[in-house]
Amino acid sequence: MSPNHVSVQRGSKIVFVYALALLATAFFAFPIFWMVTASLKSDHNITAYPPVWIFFTPSLQNYVKLVEELGIVKMFINSAVIVGLSTCLAMACGTLAAYALARFDIKNKQLIAFEVLSIRMLPPIVSVVPMFILARWLGVFDTYWLLTAAYALSGLPFVVWVMRVFIQDIPQSIEEAALIDGCSRLETFWRVTLPLLMPGLAATMVIVFMFAWNEFLLASMLTSNAAKTLPVIAANTLNAKSIAWGMASAAGVVMSLPVVVLVLLMQRYLVRGLTLGAVKG
Amino acid sequence: MSMTHSISTAKVGVADKAQRAGERRTGLLLLTPAFVLMNVVGFFPMVYSLYISLTDYNPTHGGIARFVGLKNYATALLDLQFWHAVGLTCFFVTLSVLSSLILAVLLSLLFNLRYPGFFLLRTIILIPMLITPIAVGIVWRVMMMPDLGVLNYILTVVGLQPQLWTSSAGSALLSIVLVDIWQWTPFMFLIVFAGISSLPKSPFEAAAIDGAGPIRVFFSITLPLLKPVIVIATLLRIVDAFRTYDTAFIMTRGGPDFATDLVSVYLQRVNFRFFDLGYGSALSWITLLIVSVIILIFTRLSGFTRIISEKEDR
Repeated sequence: MSPNHVSVQRGSKIVFVYALALLATAFFAFPIFWMVTASLKSDHNITAYPPVWIFFTPSLQNYVKLVEELGIVKMFINSAVIVGLSTCLAMACGTLAAYALARFDIKNKQLIAFEVLSIRMLPPIVSVVPMFILARWLGVFDTYWLLTAAYALSGLPFVVWVMRVFIQDIPQSIEEAALIDGCSRLETFWRVTLPLLMPGLAATMVIVFMFAWNEFLLASMLTSNAAKTLPVIAANTLNAKSIAWGMASAAGVVMSLPVVVLVLLMQRYLVRGLTLGAVKG
Repeated sequence: MSMTHSISTAKVGVADKAQRAGERRTGLLLLTPAFVLMNVVGFFPMVYSLYISLTDYNPTHGGIARFVGLKNYATALLDLQFWHAVGLTCFFVTLSVLSSLILAVLLSLLFNLRYPGFFLLRTIILIPMLITPIAVGIVWRVMMMPDLGVLNYILTVVGLQPQLWTSSAGSALLSIVLVDIWQWTPFMFLIVFAGISSLPKSPFEAAAIDGAGPIRVFFSITLPLLKPVIVIATLLRIVDAFRTYDTAFIMTRGGPDFATDLVSVYLQRVNFRFFDLGYGSALSWITLLIVSVIILIFTRLSGFTRIISEKEDR
């Protein structure tokens, strides 16, 4: 084989690989492109055939309608408050538990850890009925409290498992040094361990936030009006007799954007967080 | 070795014993908030649901719960609509998880070539898993419109038959599988790619010296080494695929002709349209049992428990 031939072969391999990679990316990116452009089109343009690709006059009409007709600002605030509160609650409870499981001499540690994990396995369609009944009985149906508690619970296994791994990654000698210097266990945790855990905490928080922010089933069954979240109102845009495609797409963009931005910023620990600490990214 | 241990061996005697008891108390104290959350919001409602499942509770019928024993469970065993939903869900989970796993492995091999620009493409591929499932359902419904949708337009342009997508009983479930693959392959890809990137180099160098071909290397080195990562990704995906609700709800509501009536969609109908909460709770428990058995079988067959406990012993 002449060297020329080899380089042609290599060149065609490179072209082939790039073509495949671009094709795969196009498959995953196209619906997102379509959602974003649809949110900027009129309903007439969305259902145009053949489709209008990029040459249309973009307008924020759909977003304006979301605010004026659906009052989406309120749902955005609901989502932000509920998801924010529940994430903080899950982080606080979970991190303390993770610290106990990682560093303290407690009986049946393994068993406790797996009990926490079993919550991750529980399908929400199963727990939603008793929650619905109990919530009506306690008078917390359609309030922030109910969804906050529910989301805090579903975030808990992530926090416990992921933070446990992050805590185990911190060398014990650092903590031991602080203990010898006379700090108490809790002081050591607060002053020494917690600052070192910050990147892990932030990454876990983003994942817990994402799952709660995107959740629909519990939100649709456990709210009716006052505590409605974004996914519920977005689903309602398709409930009406005439389907508002433009508004629906705009709602899709509005709810997806915060998560996409947050997660892409925290990409580094994403794998570890999503696998509950089992795979190192 | 735990820190308590190393510290307590340094000190001896009665003080040691007292300190250890104190340690344990602090540890339990730290567990308390999580414990309360788990029991009040998690396990208590579940126990309550077990009780409800033994009654004929239906708030639209006066709201009085009469104890009926195992009647709901007996009805459920003969409920063909329910078993149809279970069958559909199992088919859905198998097809969707298997396809996204294969796709994810292929993508990981491709992107592991690490040509310039691949990092950017990889980041773009991650995005679908971050999109709210409701939004995913909306945009795919727009794209899958049989007469005006962009997918059929693309199919016609490349010379293929336009499809009915979610409008026909024959293709509706497969359409939802496609959407699920689109949304969750990125998740599998992210994890498998992380696994491939952290594989040791030496087995591959040895194989290169022995002159093994790429396919041989893949099946006898890459795949076995990747197994733990693949098992974890698959397990998480199975757990989540069983609860698929949002996309099916938005795209088809279980139709047409019950072709996409997944268990979660059926349960939603029993519980929140007919408000047959006693019967619905019994169905929930049967579902939970089925899912648990399937997960248990998977963890046994795949050696998941061994993988996790090896990590614990590290």
